[in-house]
Amino acid sequence: MSQGEEEQGLMTERGTGTSEANAVYAFAVCHTEGDPDVERLTGVTRDEPVRCLRIGSLTAIVQTVRGSDFTDEVWQKRLTDEAELERYARAHHSVVSAVASQFPTVPLPLATLYNGDERAALSLAGESARFRAALTRIAHHAEWGVKVYVPVARSAGDDPSDERPASAATRTRPATGAGRAYLERKRNLHSRREQRQADSLRVADAVDADVSRLATESRRLRPHGGGAGDDRRVQVLNATYLVAGHRAAELDLLVAELRRRTGAHIEVSGPWVPYSFVGEV
Amino acid sequence: MGRDLVTLVLTVVELLRQLMERQALRRIDEGDLTDDQTDEIGTTLMMLDQRMGELCEQHGVRLEDLNLDLGPLGSLLPRD
Repeated sequence: MSQGEEEQGLMTERGTGTSEANAVYAFAVCHTEGDPDVERLTGVTRDEPVRCLRIGSLTAIVQTVRGSDFTDEVWQKRLTDEAELERYARAHHSVVSAVASQFPTVPLPLATLYNGDERAALSLAGESARFRAALTRIAHHAEWGVKVYVPVARSAGDDPSDERPASAATRTRPATGAGRAYLERKRNLHSRREQRQADSLRVADAVDADVSRLATESRRLRPHGGGAGDDRRVQVLNATYLVAGHRAAELDLLVAELRRRTGAHIEVSGPWVPYSFVGEV
Repeated sequence: MGRDLVTLVLTVVELLRQLMERQALRRIDEGDLTDDQTDEIGTTLMMLDQRMGELCEQHGVRLEDLNLDLGPLGSLLPRD
């Protein structure tokens, strides 16, 4: 994510004793003839309105914020405060979504900051080739998330209670053959687990291959580990797809068919502003 | 610190135990162990397994909790 680092760099670059001054928070860049309607948007602060900043034929959606609210230090602290971070993420996302519903829009990463309008315009203009390419790529497209889960198998012999004596007091040297039987049980356990993993991978690959055929672009993310304790299912595919607007209905049908064919639990989310498909390709 | 350290130590011990178990299964597959040796190793591993269960119980840790998330590498111990 070199883009994120770049923005991070800008945040530091600003730090020449200007933390009292105002900074410019940038939400997104879009391609419009006129200005998008941003009047009712709140943004990340109530002090200043969300507004448009022309950058050649592109428009950036920005807001003036207090520089002291966005120093590296303050932001680092904010990253550890889940509620606070969520508030900012939601504020950021609601501006991005509102603009994206009006015009093709490239969302900028959370906490993209510049030292005033001129710097913002200069910096964003420098990236205009990337924005234009991204806008072309995502025009009339939306991002859809696809997650595939398989149930956690809890097979007989997997149950520790049939291997472990009820209490330590009963623990004596087991009878002859018990050790061999134990290893056999373990061997079955291992091969069943390997079988299950192979099956899961096959399901994940099958779903990914089919959805990819329908999508313009795809990206596989690292599956989230199984939820803690009571979540009796494992995520085997966590992918996101850039799908043309006119093919969204096909996606629905395809997923329904995949559910039938694989028996796996498939979750679809979207349409999203294509956050995952606006970086460098 | 106590609880985290206990969990970490038990995780490492369980990792070693599982590695030994896999190694034992591999050697049996290769056929270089007699029946008696197999039984002996199996019994030792079984008792270690039992001992692990007891240790976990004593420290109020579940066997499933003994794991480390290694990020993109997955988890240290296999999850079911």
